[in-house]
Amino acid sequence: MSDASEMTDADADTDPDGSSPEKGSTSAGDARARLAAYRLADSFLPVGGNTVSYGLEQFVQSGAIADGDDLCAVLESYLRRQVGPCETVAIRAAHDAADDLDAVREVDEALRATTLAAEFRESATKAGRRLLEVEAETGDDPVVAAYEERVASGDAPGNYPVALGLVAARRGIDAEEACLLHAHSFLTDMLGAAQRLLSLGHVTAQRTLDDLAPVAVTVVEENADRGIDRLEAFAPLVDVHAMEHERADRRLFMS
Amino acid sequence: MATEEAHTTDGNEAAREGEGETDGSAGGADVSDPTLAHARELPPAFEPYAEESLPQVGVGSPGKVGELEATFAAGADGTTDLVADYARVPYHLSGTLGHDVDRPEFASAYVQSPTGGVAQGDRNRMVVTAEADARAHVSTGSATKVLSMDANYGRVDATFVVGDGAHLEYVPEQTILHPDARYCGETAVTLGRDASIVLADVVVPGRLARGEAFDFERYYARTTVDGPEGRILADTTHLAPGDETEDPRRAGVLGDYAVLGTCYVATTRDVDSGALSDRLAERVADGPARASASALPRDGGAFVRALGDRADDVREALAATWDEASRVLLDAPAPDPRKY
Repeated sequence: MSDASEMTDADADTDPDGSSPEKGSTSAGDARARLAAYRLADSFLPVGGNTVSYGLEQFVQSGAIADGDDLCAVLESYLRRQVGPCETVAIRAAHDAADDLDAVREVDEALRATTLAAEFRESATKAGRRLLEVEAETGDDPVVAAYEERVASGDAPGNYPVALGLVAARRGIDAEEACLLHAHSFLTDMLGAAQRLLSLGHVTAQRTLDDLAPVAVTVVEENADRGIDRLEAFAPLVDVHAMEHERADRRLFMS
Repeated sequence: MATEEAHTTDGNEAAREGEGETDGSAGGADVSDPTLAHARELPPAFEPYAEESLPQVGVGSPGKVGELEATFAAGADGTTDLVADYARVPYHLSGTLGHDVDRPEFASAYVQSPTGGVAQGDRNRMVVTAEADARAHVSTGSATKVLSMDANYGRVDATFVVGDGAHLEYVPEQTILHPDARYCGETAVTLGRDASIVLADVVVPGRLARGEAFDFERYYARTTVDGPEGRILADTTHLAPGDETEDPRRAGVLGDYAVLGTCYVATTRDVDSGALSDRLAERVADGPARASASALPRDGGAFVRALGDRADDVREALAATWDEASRVLLDAPAPDPRKY
């Protein structure tokens, strides 16, 4: 990986510190920011949320998850051990660093070093790249476009939580809301996968989402002051399932 | 900061204090300026413990600050020697052994301790360096017991510096956590170019044979590996069975397993990390532990996680990982890990 590589795209003449984002300084701006948050939390966002299961497929295959209760227990562990102390910390750090793309890249690399299961890195960088591409196309934001180019050229990994933190900051969405919407969309992606893997009913899926809402709130709060040097993703059985999934014969999901 | 008390009682601190926290992951690390585990700040969860004074000899007293420095270098004939070593109680380093029959260029040494284990207030620090092209294996002679505590905590810092072309192995016996133990371990590896390390760790949540499990208070162990292009991995094991949200006996964390093992095979050599991962996974897949492998970030090698009901099951998986790593990286099998 070449750390020194510059933007390679011939169109890369945008200034990262150029035009200002559409910040929510007015009530109309606030409403725009809220709408952007809904859009980013929606499974309609084309970032491949329906292609990933983050090891869930293997939990079902191995028999460790057989029903809605098992699923809820595992999802709680994902929230407490991975989404909270790792992903939301990266979202906030990228959000805080949004004016300095070198600092955003540092967060991105710290998150990559903490994401040890190869399939999780692959899923997270694919989704992150798609989000940056979509936003670069639709948002007309030179900062997001510049980071998208750095990711496309291989200069930065482009993990989803980092892309989301950057996009949220540029869209005027505050960091806490970005963390909450990420926890929500993580759960809806996982529950969507579970519906296909477990024949989980729609109402059970909604109940699980609602039951886990307090956990999501807690992990976002608890990790609000955690620094990027304390990123922590400790869930060994999730790791082992992800590793086994890499080598599984039949796979519906990318992770 | 409370942790500083522990460090200021002994002498040559300048290098460490000047080092500061080099945890920024963007820039590459350099073996001439390696990341030092003992320079790390205390994890926030340990700050309340640090304020607790000790009923016995104080933090930083003689016998409470173990230091070990060992440097291995390759000689003109290609074999490696221990060229410098310094140990302060409770650390002791064995002389080098030449028992590695399939890897005659290796120097092997064992870290020994005359004490019963890591006690409250202990601050132990180890720095092991493999200079350019050296081949060294370091282990411990027996399990490390983290003893019961009613105040403060025990901390063990390990720094490994692996020079260009060098290969270092640190495969200690398991760490056993006694009731109410509080353990903080920081491990920092800096790799040069074309370098590799095999780093294994097994944590046992109590004296399982007597029915003791998860009675300890807190176990925190963080490992980082830095290479010339930047950070390859940062991994944290954090077990706090008494804490409702940190209890490891949860679905997806340890589940019903008791013993956790991890073996990192991190390298800046030109190896196919995916292929290395596949070979490690194949070796451990049908063993007694639930174990598998994945490729590390930055194409930096691979690692194995292993979970088991018994320490021996997990140790077997990690011994197989070590052996396979040696075959892939050095084209030679690892020696029999038995020491008795």
